[in-house]
Amino acid sequence: MRIRKIITGIFMLTLSIGLSGCVSVAAWERGNLAKPQMALDPHPLQSTVRMHNYGSREAAASTHSAEGGGGCGCY
Amino acid sequence: MVNNKKGSHRGDSSHLIVDSCQSYPIKITSVSTLACATFSESSTTTSKALQALTSAALVLPGLLLTPAHASDADRINFQFSRYQEGKRDLFGVPNNLKPITADVLHGSGIFSLTDRTKFNFSYTQDTWSGATPITISPLAANGNRPILGNTATGITTVGASPIINNSQVLLDRDLNPLRQDSQNHQLMNKDPRSVMVLSSASPETRNQANFGLSREWNEAALNVSGGFSRERDYKSNFGNVSGRLDFNQKLTSVKFGSGYTSSNISAILDHDASPYITKTAFSRQIESRGGSEILQGNRHDWTGNLGLTQVLTKNALLEANIGYTHSNGYMENPYKVMTVIFVDPAVLNNNQTTPITGDMRALLEQRPNVRNQVAINTKYIQYVSAFDAALHLGYRLSTDDWGINTHTFDANWVQPIGSGWTLTPRIRYYSQDAAGFYNPYLFSQQTYRRNEVDSLGRQIWIDAKNPNIQYVRDSSFNLIDQNGNLVNEALLNVQPKTASFDAGKLPGNFSSDHRLAGFGALSGGVTLNKMIMKGVALEAGFEYYTRASSMQLGSGGRNGFADFDYYVANAALKLDLESTNLSMPGRNLSQHQDSPTHHQHKAPPAGIMFGHMLDKPGDFMVGYRFMHSWTNGNMMHGAHKVNDQTIVDQGCDTTLCRFTPTYMNMRMHMLDIMYAPAKWWNIMLMPTFMDMDMNLRTLAGRPAPVPGVHEHQGIAGHETGAVGDTMISSLVKLIDIPGHRVHMSLGLSAPTGKVDLQLRRLFQIDGGLIHFGMQLGSGTWDFMPNLTYAGEYNRWSWGAQVNGIKRMENQNKSGYRLGDVFQATTWGGYDLTRWLTASVRGAYTVQGAIHRDFNSFNARIGPMDFPANYGGQFWDIGLGLNAIIPGGRFAGNRFSFEWVQPVRNDFNGFQLERKGALSATWSYRF
Repeated sequence: MRIRKIITGIFMLTLSIGLSGCVSVAAWERGNLAKPQMALDPHPLQSTVRMHNYGSREAAASTHSAEGGGGCGCY
Repeated sequence: MVNNKKGSHRGDSSHLIVDSCQSYPIKITSVSTLACATFSESSTTTSKALQALTSAALVLPGLLLTPAHASDADRINFQFSRYQEGKRDLFGVPNNLKPITADVLHGSGIFSLTDRTKFNFSYTQDTWSGATPITISPLAANGNRPILGNTATGITTVGASPIINNSQVLLDRDLNPLRQDSQNHQLMNKDPRSVMVLSSASPETRNQANFGLSREWNEAALNVSGGFSRERDYKSNFGNVSGRLDFNQKLTSVKFGSGYTSSNISAILDHDASPYITKTAFSRQIESRGGSEILQGNRHDWTGNLGLTQVLTKNALLEANIGYTHSNGYMENPYKVMTVIFVDPAVLNNNQTTPITGDMRALLEQRPNVRNQVAINTKYIQYVSAFDAALHLGYRLSTDDWGINTHTFDANWVQPIGSGWTLTPRIRYYSQDAAGFYNPYLFSQQTYRRNEVDSLGRQIWIDAKNPNIQYVRDSSFNLIDQNGNLVNEALLNVQPKTASFDAGKLPGNFSSDHRLAGFGALSGGVTLNKMIMKGVALEAGFEYYTRASSMQLGSGGRNGFADFDYYVANAALKLDLESTNLSMPGRNLSQHQDSPTHHQHKAPPAGIMFGHMLDKPGDFMVGYRFMHSWTNGNMMHGAHKVNDQTIVDQGCDTTLCRFTPTYMNMRMHMLDIMYAPAKWWNIMLMPTFMDMDMNLRTLAGRPAPVPGVHEHQGIAGHETGAVGDTMISSLVKLIDIPGHRVHMSLGLSAPTGKVDLQLRRLFQIDGGLIHFGMQLGSGTWDFMPNLTYAGEYNRWSWGAQVNGIKRMENQNKSGYRLGDVFQATTWGGYDLTRWLTASVRGAYTVQGAIHRDFNSFNARIGPMDFPANYGGQFWDIGLGLNAIIPGGRFAGNRFSFEWVQPVRNDFNGFQLERKGALSATWSYRF
């Protein structure tokens, strides 16, 4: 139950930051944000490989779980 | 956009903000907008600047170019990855089993259908083999040894493990396992250690395909996708919808997604283990077919997730996601069993202190039929201007109603280092708690089987031939029936009536799958990216992962027997199609449209390799070649059908054949990477990936099975697959006059394909090396010369090629070498339209038999295990179509297909009939 509280807490915090709208970064100030190294996932091919391996070796749930598929991972 | 789709690789990759440019962005500050052009550092010419301004103008209507749109440029990726586990620690038990290896081939692409609509697909094939843990037992019980069980029809003992003949473990009165000296059987100390029981596996292959459509709006995106995954024992279909909404001038984005997966499990239970495994809990799901027991199950997974991405400053952003998964159905691993040690309570409680004997049995694991999981992750990304680098920090928390809580921390440092290189070191820590129903093994205070007694306490006896009639014995031990009459025992086969253990005394759910245990894991790796030319990038990644029970957060140390490590290495080729078109004004779409065939010669049929050359220095071509060949139907000897008895008598050298193939299919994926350093000289690299499957049948008139000799059992066939041989070739133009061209290619085939694949142990008998034809390569360095002539006149084209394969070594590491090959082929083509060509081809091929033989054990059960039954002379006709897309977004892509139909075969020895082969190719020149 403690974990549930933490989850809710973190999410609400994030949400409030996001919806506050207090952040203002003008379009011409976004040059750094636009760089490839700032992409949310700079190496998607690598992420896929890793996620598949972690998924077959660990029991954690994923926030990417809507992706589906993946098969048994029976090994 | 919510999902990082397995395979499609579009995922989150850059969804936020503005355009993510391949090189440096230029800022255009008018009208509060910003645009990036695909600038290369060296080429700041006027036309480039103009191009940048133009693209800036193009995005003005949307004010800000949507990021996903920008990053999801049309592209194609190819990737190969290898997963290699280290050996498991069996605490001194000899372990000659190969650890798990998985080879993964992946291809994916995104193509624009309209300005705002994209189609994406991905294909993944993985093949794995090696030793996998099937249960855990006390080390004192001699570790890798049998597992036992009861079936609906009676009780038996399980032997998937190397040692099978001992199913007892000595215990003290507190149920601690006691170690016995293996020499003098003296009792030693108690030994609380556990050990994994490993079982080897023959190679298995999985194929997965995804297809998706996505649509972008100015401040929103929607993606619909679906696909399937196919394995011999596990089939799943899935679909999902996801989307994104941008707010606050794209400083805030909300992502959402929902998906459903339906899976069908149809697991052929291990032949070795099955008779010994207690499967009563699943008896209604087990079906017998063709001598195999098949466990059937269904599973459904519903998922949903919601995410938020927020720009914090001009140098930082934050992402948070929450995901929920509800699963129900069969979630067990059908190959994992639980070791249950049955202890007779009468003996345990007899007030003595001597050791007692535990009866070890193996029960199919039982997991809950429902699982609810929640995961939340946050990611913080900070730009570090001093290094022009980005730091990515991630944390994920997940929890579920199986009791598994996990924490994951990871950090990436993405560092561009100039000249198109990017280096990304990475570290990750993971910790999970054990599932509530996880146990290495269980004790149950009851006997596994007990004699039944009637209401008066008398032991019940039955006649084995007629078990429904019960008897008891009177005080003189005479057998009497239920009416009290004496029965003549000599006429019956009298046995005690027994009953199985009471499953109600076991926990409702139990599993010893070490993935459900508590542990921690530390991993680290590096990714290296190199942009080799505009639109073409290479990527390589390496990661080392080590799992240790002692690294679990907060506790741990009790599951050290399951510690292991692995590494993953991968290499990828990434092609950005839009970038190449944009950046090469001289090769833009309109030129392709004008005359797609004008400056490109007509391509030979799909089945021809090394059949054309690039014409201009600096040209670069990437292609993909697929071939599927079928053999099935009759067994042939020379050019004629043969009956089973002839095969039995003559097909296996001096022994008698017992089995023969019913079919064998081979699929080959090949990447063609071609580059022209000079007009007269091309170099070519062709990595291959292949997979094969075959099945066998028993020959009529075969000799009877002999104990201790490998037999093919059940309905399952064999599968192999992974990297095949890699070809490197140098092509030299000899003649190039209008209408006629001749070139020569000198190729080398490197033995990257395995030739020592083995079948798993069955019935405690080694399967040995798998048949020659199922190995993945030649195993030798081979010389591959060829000479090609091609001509064309108006709508007609024609050509001829002679090629060969000469093995340059006497034997490969498994002791044999494949026969040399010579082929002569000629073709004619006619342009049906400006972009479509039909072709007819004739081919003659001769291949020698295999030389020498396997140098280690092979089961030699049928003709496919004997070197003389390979090769022959073959006459084929090929019918093909070549297409080049003349205009539009996909201009310049070439596709070709060819069906090769055998006309006459003259096989060496005894072989399965050839039914034909399909070749398909795609290529694109940059």
